[in-house]
Amino acid sequence: MDIPYTVSARPDTGLYNAKVGVWLFLASEVMLFGGLFSAYIFLRVGADYPWPVHELNVTMGFINTLVLIGSSVTVLLAWASIKLRKFTAYKVYMAITIACALTFMVIKSFEYRSKFTHYSVTMTDGTILTGHLPHGFDIEFGEVNELTLTVAGKTASIDANPVSYVLPYIKGTAPSFKTEAGEDIQLDSTSFAKLADEARAKAREKQKAEGLKETPNWSIKLKAASPITFSVPPSKLLAKPALDAKSISFRDGTTVEGKIINDKMTIEVDGVDLRGTPEKEKSLAWNEHYLGSAWKNFFIHQRDEAIAEFSKKYDDGKGGLSRDPNKSATHQKEQFYLHIHSPKPESHEASNAAHGAEVHAPKEGHDAGHASHHPEVQLERKDVQFYSNFTPKLNSYYAIYFTLTGLHGLHVIAGALVLAYFLIFDGRRLRENPEHMANRIEVGGLFWHFVDLVWIFLFPLLYLL
Amino acid sequence: MSAAAHSHDHAHDHGHDHHELGFVNKYIFSTDHKVIGIQYAITGLLFLLFGFFLMMLMRWSIAYPGQPIPGFDVVSSIPGLGWVFNEMIGRWAPGGVVNGELYNMLGAMHGTIMVFLGIVPLGFAGFVNFVMPLQIGTIDMAFPKLNMWSYWLFFVSGVMMFASFFVGTGSVQTGWTMYSPLASTTSIAVTNVWMHGHTWWLLAMVFNISASLLGSVNVITTVINLRAKGMTWMRMPFFCWAMFIVSFLLLLAFPPLEVAALLQFSDRVFGSSFFLPTGLMEGGQHLDISGGGSPLLYQHLFWFLAHPEVYVLILPAFAILAEVIPANTRRPLWGYKAMVYGALTLGFLSFLVWAHHMYLTGMGTMMSTYFQITTVLISVPSVILLTGLMISLWGGSIRFTPQMLFASAFLPMFGIGGLTGLPLAFTFIDLALHDTYYVIGHFHYVVAPGTIFALFAGIYHWYPKATGRKMNEFLGKLHFWPSLLGMNMIFAPMFIQGMGGFHRRWYDGGKYFEQTSSASNWFTEFTSSFFSIFGMDVPNNLFGLNVMMSVGAFVLALGQVPFILNFFLSIKGGKEAGSDNPWNATTLEWAAPTPPPHGNFDFEPVVVRGPYEYSVPGMEQDFFPQWESEPGKRAEPSAAPVPAVTAHH
Amino acid sequence: MADSPEEIYKSIKKIKVIGLMLAVFTILTVGLSYVELPTHSLNIIVGMILATIKAALVALIFMHLNHEKVLIYKFLAFTITFVLALFILFYASSTDPLVFDGF
Ligand code: HEM
Ligand SMILES: [Cu+2]
Repeated sequence: MDIPYTVSARPDTGLYNAKVGVWLFLASEVMLFGGLFSAYIFLRVGADYPWPVHELNVTMGFINTLVLIGSSVTVLLAWASIKLRKFTAYKVYMAITIACALTFMVIKSFEYRSKFTHYSVTMTDGTILTGHLPHGFDIEFGEVNELTLTVAGKTASIDANPVSYVLPYIKGTAPSFKTEAGEDIQLDSTSFAKLADEARAKAREKQKAEGLKETPNWSIKLKAASPITFSVPPSKLLAKPALDAKSISFRDGTTVEGKIINDKMTIEVDGVDLRGTPEKEKSLAWNEHYLGSAWKNFFIHQRDEAIAEFSKKYDDGKGGLSRDPNKSATHQKEQFYLHIHSPKPESHEASNAAHGAEVHAPKEGHDAGHASHHPEVQLERKDVQFYSNFTPKLNSYYAIYFTLTGLHGLHVIAGALVLAYFLIFDGRRLRENPEHMANRIEVGGLFWHFVDLVWIFLFPLLYLL
Repeated sequence: MSAAAHSHDHAHDHGHDHHELGFVNKYIFSTDHKVIGIQYAITGLLFLLFGFFLMMLMRWSIAYPGQPIPGFDVVSSIPGLGWVFNEMIGRWAPGGVVNGELYNMLGAMHGTIMVFLGIVPLGFAGFVNFVMPLQIGTIDMAFPKLNMWSYWLFFVSGVMMFASFFVGTGSVQTGWTMYSPLASTTSIAVTNVWMHGHTWWLLAMVFNISASLLGSVNVITTVINLRAKGMTWMRMPFFCWAMFIVSFLLLLAFPPLEVAALLQFSDRVFGSSFFLPTGLMEGGQHLDISGGGSPLLYQHLFWFLAHPEVYVLILPAFAILAEVIPANTRRPLWGYKAMVYGALTLGFLSFLVWAHHMYLTGMGTMMSTYFQITTVLISVPSVILLTGLMISLWGGSIRFTPQMLFASAFLPMFGIGGLTGLPLAFTFIDLALHDTYYVIGHFHYVVAPGTIFALFAGIYHWYPKATGRKMNEFLGKLHFWPSLLGMNMIFAPMFIQGMGGFHRRWYDGGKYFEQTSSASNWFTEFTSSFFSIFGMDVPNNLFGLNVMMSVGAFVLALGQVPFILNFFLSIKGGKEAGSDNPWNATTLEWAAPTPPPHGNFDFEPVVVRGPYEYSVPGMEQDFFPQWESEPGKRAEPSAAPVPAVTAHH
Repeated sequence: MADSPEEIYKSIKKIKVIGLMLAVFTILTVGLSYVELPTHSLNIIVGMILATIKAALVALIFMHLNHEKVLIYKFLAFTITFVLALFILFYASSTDPLVFDGF
C-alpha cells in the first residue's frame, strides 16, 4: 500500500505531501514563536525597570548569528549537490551544517553558564548590586537541639523526609538522635522508615479511638545528642525566615528551634545600579561597612562627568538641550550605573581614561579566580529585598530571554538530529532514490531555515535593542 | 488500490506490503486510519465517562454540602478499586465529604478532561480519522506513522493527566482555565516540583498539544493532496470541510496555549514572573519573586486558544449532523455552499474574538468595543450553519432513527446555547453575568446537549460501517429520552441561578451566601412543588434548583447505561447492516467494504457528483451516490476531469 | 523549481551571495545598535526593519517563497494575519488606546 504523492507532486496542487506537511508545521511554529514574541512585547511595554540593552555578550551572539547563516547556506548547498548527484559534496556540506549546529549550542552553553554564576541583589532602597557570591548564600541557623518531624496522615507533598531535605544542610556531621522512646539512633533512610511507620500506626490508632474522619498528622520529636548548626539556602525552606527567626521549617515540614547565627550575604561587587534608587547619594550601597564613601565619590564624579558630556553633545546653542536627558536610556545608564573592576576606586584621572571605553554593561564570565578584582561586601539580610542569579527568576527580561533562546536551542538540536539522521542512516535512499532524498533534504532544510529566521529576530531583540 | 497508481513513477523501499500484521501492529501500534480513529474514539469515550463521574461528585457537593457522598464507604472498601478511589479522591474527602480543596480539583479536572481529553479526541480525532479518508476516497492518511504517533502522544497526555490525581499534591486545583497568578503560585513550596499535580497537568498539555499538532497537519495534508479523482473542493462532503477547518484552528491556535503552559511552567519551576505582577503578596507576605509580569498576558495567551477551541468543540458536531440529517430526511443539505463559506468565515473570525472572555480585566474601552463587535459578528456564521441544518428538515420524510433523534434535539439545544451567548457578548451585560452560572449554562448548552448529542448521533450513524452491525434502536431511544430530560434539568436552571448571582465556583452551592440565594420565582416554586410529589423537601428558592440539577445529573447518568450496553452488545449481537450502505447514503465511505480493510476500497473510487444528491427529481431511488455515474453503476476513471495543473507560481 | 544543472549552478551562486548579504546586514545591525538615534524607539524600529529585510531574504530565497505554489501562500497569509492579530491586539490591550499617551 503506497500513499500517493510522497515523491512526485500532485498535479493540481503542485506539491508533494511532505512539503504541504512541513509548511503547515512551520505555520504552527510561526504561531508558537508569535505567541512568545507577543509575550516579549507585552512584558517589555509593561516593564517597571530599565529594559536591559547590550547586557548580553554581543560578540558571542554575533558569532552565533554568522554560524547559523553559514549553516543555512551549507544545507542549501547540500541539497543542490544531490540534485547534481555529487554525493560526496552532499555529505561534506551536511557534515558542516551539523557542525555549525553544534558550535552554536556550545557557544550558547558558555553564555548560559556565565549567567548562572552571576548574581544580582536588590536592596530595600532599590539599589542593585551585581557580582559573584563566592560562597553562595546560606543562612546559618544554630543551637538546635531537637527536630520536629510531621508525618502526614494522608499522601501529601509535605511529608517528613528528613534524610533528603534536612540532613544535607547540617554543618559538619550529623549527631545521633534520641527518639521519644529513648532509643539512640543514627538518622538514615532505614531508621527513619521505621519511625514513620510507627507514627502512622499511632495516628491510625488515635483515629480509631476517637472516631476521627481522617487519619491525623503525627509529629515525632528527635533530640540531638549535641547541638546542631544548619547552613541552608533560603529556597530550601518552606517560607523565608523572619529576620530574628526563632524557628525554621524545611521543605518537608520539619521544624527546628534555635537562632540565626549568620545570615550575611558575601558578594564580590562588579556593578552598582542606582537607576531604581530614589536618592542616589543616600543609597544603602554607600554605607561605610558596604562600599563606603570612596566609591560614592567615584560615583558622583562619574555621574557629573556623564552629565557634562551629555550637555556638550546635545547643546542646542540656545542654552538648552536638544534631547531630554531623562528620556535617554543610555544617558541614565552612564550616570547611574557604576562598573567596578578594582578592589578600590581608581584615581579619577585613571578612571577618566577608562571611562570612554566603558559605556556599556559589564561583560559576563569573570570566573572565581579573578575575585580579588572586586570589593567584597557583606550584606545584612535586612537590607536585601531580592536576589537571584541571572536566570528567569531575576526579571521578566531574563525570563523571556531564557525561554526564547531555550526553545530556539531545542529547535536547533531537533533540526540537527533530523539532518544527522538523513546523513547517517539514509544512505540507501540516497543511492537508490536521490529525488526522494532531495525532497527530504528540502523539507529538513526548510525547517532549518526557519530556525535561522527566528534567530534573526532574536538576536537584535535580546542582545542589541 | 485507487489513487496509488499515480505515485508509481518512482521506486520505493516498501517491501512489507502484503503480509498479515500481528496483533500489536494491527490493533495497538496500528498505522491504519480506521484503527487509530477507533482508538481515539474509545479513549475519548472513556475520558468522557470519567469526567462525568467527577461532575457527579461536584453536583453532590453543591446540592448537599457537608454531607458524605452516598456509597463512599462501600466504594472505598472494594479491594483494588477502593484503593484507587481512596488515593484519587478519598484521601481528600474526610469521612466522604467533599471539601473545597477536592471540589477545586474535581472542577479543574472535569473541565480539562471533557474539553481536551474527551470531546476533541472523540469528536475531532476519532471521527475525522475514521471517516474522512473514506469520504474523500483515499487509502489512508498522508502520514500514517505520524498518525500513530499522534494517538500515542495523546495517550501519554491522558495517562499523565489521570495520574496527576495520585501524586502527593493531588491534581491541579485552579480551574480548567488555569489562571495565573493563582495558578503560578498555589502550593508551590513542595519538596519536589516534579511530583506535583500542576506540573503534570502542564506537561500533559504539552503532549496533548503536540498530538493535536501532528493530527491536524495530517488531516490538512490528506484533504489537500489525497482526494480521489473527481472529488473537487465543492464536491467534498461538509463533514470534511468542517474537519478541515477545525484542523486549521488546532494548528494555529494551540501554539499560543503551549506558550502559556511553558511560561506558567517556568513561573512554577524556575521562579520567573511572567504572569506575576510586582508586589504580589500571599498570606500577608511578599512572595520571593521579581514581579514585572502580567496576569493579563496569561489570559490573552489562554483565550487566544480557548476561543477557537470552542469552535473546535462545535464544528465536529456540525460536521456529523451535515451527514446524519440529509441521510435521515432524504433531502439534500440545504445551503451547502453557504454552510461551507459560513464555516470558513467562522474559522477565520474565531481567531479575532478571544478577549470577550476578558471584559472584566480592565482591558480598556476601545479593546472591549472591538471584541464586542467581532463577537457579535461571529454569531452570524454560527446562525448560518444552524439555519442550514434546520431548513434541511423542511419537507423531508424523516426517519427517526436514534441518530436522527439526537440530531433533531441538537438543533434547539444548540440554539439555546448560542442565543444565551449573545447577551454575554455585550460588555455591560457581561459585567453582571461574568463568572456566574449563567456562563456555565451558556456553554454547557452548546457542548453538552449540543456537541455531545451530535457525537452520539455520529456513533449511531457510523457504527455499522465500523462493525457491520447496527446499534439497537430501542436501546437508542431509551438512551435518548432520559439524556434529553437530564441535560435540560441540569442546564436550564443554571440561567436562573446565574442571573440570581450564583458564582460559578462555589463548592457548597452557595450555602454561605444566603442573601443572594433566597430569591424565589415561578421556577423555584415549580421545582419545590414538583419534588414534594416525591416527598422531597426542596426549598422554594434558588438553592432548591441545586437539587433539581443534581437529580438531573443522576437521570443523565442512568440514561447512559443503555448506551454503554448497546455499544458493546451490538458488536456481536446487533442487527446485520445488510449492505455496505445500510442508510442508503450518498458519500464515499459507504462504498467501501464493511468493515473497510487496510487500504479501504476494493475499486478505484471516482466521484462524479456532489455529496448530497437525495430525492433527485425523476429518479426512482431516493439517493444518488457520489461514485455512481448512473444508478447502480460505478463511475469509470475517465468520467472524472483530470485535475488542472497549477501554474508554477 | 530549478532542476536543470545550469539552473542549479546559477542558484548556488545566488545562495552564496545572499549568505554574504545576510552577514553584512548583521554587521550593520550590530553597528547601528550602538548609534544613539533621537529616541530609543527609533533604534528599535531601524533594527527591526533590518531584521525584517534579513528574514525576508531567508524566506524568499532560501525557503524559495519567491517561487512557491499558491496554496502555501494561502496558509501563510492566514498565519501572518493571526500573528499580527496577536501582536497588535496584545499591544493595544496592554494600554488603553483611548487614553494613549505615546510610547
Ligand atoms: C453563538 C455565538 C456565541 C457567543 C456570542 C458567545 C459568547 C460568549 C461570551 C461573551 C462568553 C464569556 C462569558 C463570560 O465569561 O463572562 C462565553 C463563554 C463561553 N462560551 Fe460562548 N459564545 C458563543 C458560542 C459558543 C459556542 C459555540 C461554544 C462552544 C462550543 C461556546 C463555549 C463557551 C465557553 C466554554 C465559555 C466559557 C469558558 C469559561 O469561562 O470557562 N460558546 N461565550
Ligand atoms: Cu469565546
